[in-house]
Amino acid sequence: MTARRSLTKWFVALCVMHGIVVCAGFFAPYDPGGQDRRNPYMPPMRLHLQDARGQLHLRPFVYSLKLRDGSFDQYQEDQTTLHPLQFFLSGAGYRLLGFVPCRWHLFGVENSRIYLLGSDGYGRDQFSRLLFGGQVSLLAGLLGAGLTLVIGAGIGSVAGYFGGWRDDILMRLSELFLALPWLYLLFALRAFLPLAVNPLQAFFLIIAVIAAVGWARPARLVRGVVLSAKERDFVRAARGFGATGGYLWRRHILPETSSVLWTQAAILVPQYVLAEMTLSFLGLGVPEPVPSWGNLLSSLQQYSVLVSYWWMYLPALAMVPFFVGYLGIASSLQEREQPYKVDRMGLGSLT
Amino acid sequence: MKAEGATTDGSLQPLLKVESLVKLYVKRNLAGVREEVRALDGVSFAIDPGATLAVVGESGSGKSTLASCVACLENPKSGSICFDGRNIVAISERHRREVRPQIQLIFQDPANSMNPRWSALEILIEPLVLQRKMNREEMKRRAYRLLDRVGLPSEIANRPPTELSGGQRQRLAIARALALEPKLLILDEALSAIDCSIQAQVANLLMDLQTSLKMTYLFITHDLSMAAHLADEIAVMSHGRIVEHAPTEKVLRQPESETTRQLLKAMPKMIRPALPEMQQ
Amino acid sequence: MIGFLLRRLRHALFLLIGVSVLAFLFAALAPGNYFDEMRLNPQIAPETIAALRAQYGIDRPLPMRYASWVNSLLHGNMGFSFAYNSAVAPILMVRARNTLLLTATSTLLAWAIALPLGIWSAEHFGKLPDRLLSWGTAALLVIPDLGIALGLLVLAVRSGWFPSGGMASVDFETLSVFRQLRDMAWHMVLPVSALVLCALPLLVRHVRAAVADVLNAPFLLAAIGHGIPRRTLLYRFALPAAANPLISLFGFSIGALLSSSLMVEVVMSWPGLGPLLLESILSRDLYVVVGAILFSTIFLVFGNLTSDLLLYLADPRIRTESSAR
Repeated sequence: MTARRSLTKWFVALCVMHGIVVCAGFFAPYDPGGQDRRNPYMPPMRLHLQDARGQLHLRPFVYSLKLRDGSFDQYQEDQTTLHPLQFFLSGAGYRLLGFVPCRWHLFGVENSRIYLLGSDGYGRDQFSRLLFGGQVSLLAGLLGAGLTLVIGAGIGSVAGYFGGWRDDILMRLSELFLALPWLYLLFALRAFLPLAVNPLQAFFLIIAVIAAVGWARPARLVRGVVLSAKERDFVRAARGFGATGGYLWRRHILPETSSVLWTQAAILVPQYVLAEMTLSFLGLGVPEPVPSWGNLLSSLQQYSVLVSYWWMYLPALAMVPFFVGYLGIASSLQEREQPYKVDRMGLGSLT
Repeated sequence: MKAEGATTDGSLQPLLKVESLVKLYVKRNLAGVREEVRALDGVSFAIDPGATLAVVGESGSGKSTLASCVACLENPKSGSICFDGRNIVAISERHRREVRPQIQLIFQDPANSMNPRWSALEILIEPLVLQRKMNREEMKRRAYRLLDRVGLPSEIANRPPTELSGGQRQRLAIARALALEPKLLILDEALSAIDCSIQAQVANLLMDLQTSLKMTYLFITHDLSMAAHLADEIAVMSHGRIVEHAPTEKVLRQPESETTRQLLKAMPKMIRPALPEMQQ
Repeated sequence: MIGFLLRRLRHALFLLIGVSVLAFLFAALAPGNYFDEMRLNPQIAPETIAALRAQYGIDRPLPMRYASWVNSLLHGNMGFSFAYNSAVAPILMVRARNTLLLTATSTLLAWAIALPLGIWSAEHFGKLPDRLLSWGTAALLVIPDLGIALGLLVLAVRSGWFPSGGMASVDFETLSVFRQLRDMAWHMVLPVSALVLCALPLLVRHVRAAVADVLNAPFLLAAIGHGIPRRTLLYRFALPAAANPLISLFGFSIGALLSSSLMVEVVMSWPGLGPLLLESILSRDLYVVVGAILFSTIFLVFGNLTSDLLLYLADPRIRTESSAR
């Protein structure tokens, strides 16, 4: 039962994190595309409780940053004006969940901009871009994983249930896909499709490509389950009662695959988010100006950014809490399936 | 309760007549070489209505394959299986689906023969659902009647089979098999996986049901003593062939084949019938 | 054993052929090719382009192009690169060698660290040192590979201890052999560390799991009861028994490492197959793309072949089943 409790724990944690990303408009102070060319590459602002004169304030505040005299990218705090943090203020409009127009934001400052994670070359707030970027990357991962599992379950079921030449051909095909290192395959597939597409097309394109790369392993796993389930006596008994193939698959065999599918989902989503990040980082994924965790990092390909603007690296770590959540779910699922076995880190489902 | 003589109700036609049944398996061993296994190598026998035939043999003799073929779960390579006068090998799948409810199979391992995720009630009504001949209410009523008939309390209806004991599970399997009111019941090692102490109870249940429901049994087992207790006739199988087929008494007292003699020798001394050569 | 080897080789060949067909199909069916780019260039006359197209046989039907490609392949000619304006094979060879260098070193290093660490962890299963290690690997596991590579790069660049990319310093040619090796090693530190860090957490966990399983097995408890010393126990009893899953893991890790190396090479500008693939994809250089994919597959297939062979040698069950007829 502890396995079930921990599963719920992880699930709730993931839901909360996804919820924050879904309501990015509310949690982010600004529109992700909002540029401010006067403040390029501004480092993260620090929250203070005590001002320069030593006085404590109840409300945390920030100083605006001004360019240091004589430099073009060194900032220093302008301690003459305090900007207290405001909560639940009205700001740039956005659409909650995509269709409800809204203007409320969790926090912000009046008369100035707050850069919690710094700004990029165009003065865009990295924190806001991070949250909105999460929408793109996470959605890509979830949809991709969903698609892969549908394809994999379908192919695996056909191969396992019918056997014979269908099984042979499909398994040979899956071996081919597994024979290539997956990132090479991903690149190849992506690049052999039109490169210059608009962000929406690119989004669905990369979901399709990522899903097409990853179907082989789930398909083999599902095939294994179907093969053994097919021979179970209760399936044979149902056939003896006059069941058709469709009934058997739907009511007896498919439920047996559910545990494999859920575990695979928990493992695949983070992998797919990483795939999207890699593609977007290299310019083969979601293009500007739509933010994604990958293309937020692409400026790091320039040496100057690498050396001087360390906060541009932070989006790389945005994935970490989600990884933790998905990994937690994957291991609780495995514990549930094999409670008496030694804690194995997914050997069965990764190979 | 053995039936007297061969025919009990006067009809001349055996309920099940199997002739020259052949079944092959093609296996590919791990080295990749194809091997042909003759699971059934020309099996022939007949069972009269209301009688019990026990097919006895060791593992690998082909008994389970025989059960699958007669239950229409597998197709033999050649030969015929005549059930109630119809050759069910030759007919189409659709017609076979109509015949299947009359021949039911009870498997060896009740833990495996019922879906552990389902409740007892769902398991019981599955055959009725598949036959689509009655509504939900009638199905449930029939299910409770079946539970009663096999001596199971109605409380277990909402529990999964994993919460039942081995004997109870096998009773549930029997109840399920009875749902479609079959004429022929194939018991594939049905008593082998139950504790010895419970075996007698389930065996007695089966015997009662046979008389009250007028069913014919094909009883497959490796245990000659059990066969001796339950069957009218015994057929001994070895390597896909029937090497001896005779009424029970004759098989026990005057075995003709070497296989039968080996099986008899393997019986515990206390129940072994007194044979001239067995006297030490 | 020869029979086994031949069968695995035949299987490998089938895979390579299949992959080459797939790769060729994708590449040839891709919208746009090198000459579309050329066409946009007003300085090149359309006749020149037409002549070039005829010379490279772009307009012939696909199966013919594939057949002639395979034919030249068997003669050692891997096609022509439009972007580099030279034969593909030499370019690929150099890049493949660099990738092999990186991947092989990383694989060896990763396993050299993971094996003892995993075994030690399995020995102290559940106790504090094991739990600390589990936390450590978990922490590493949750950082995405891209994050690890970029993070190391940022560290290197800000500290100045390691070069920010490339395989050799500018003055490489002028150095003595010893210094050349040292220079190359210095350049390798970052990419190899990135790859090892990417691979390590999963390897350690799996080794730990496999060895822990074996350590709990009855036969090992019996050996302990016989009073066999700890070192012998671990290396002569436990490890061989755990060899089966570990060797399978080895085969799997090669594929994962090759993928990670693609990303690491691009991020750290290591001149291997990765950056080459990316470039040729962006410029639609067909034969280079196919060649790069083939090479990466060759590495993976041979890696798996090695692990199959190792498995055959290590697990007597496979030998007996294979020879049973």
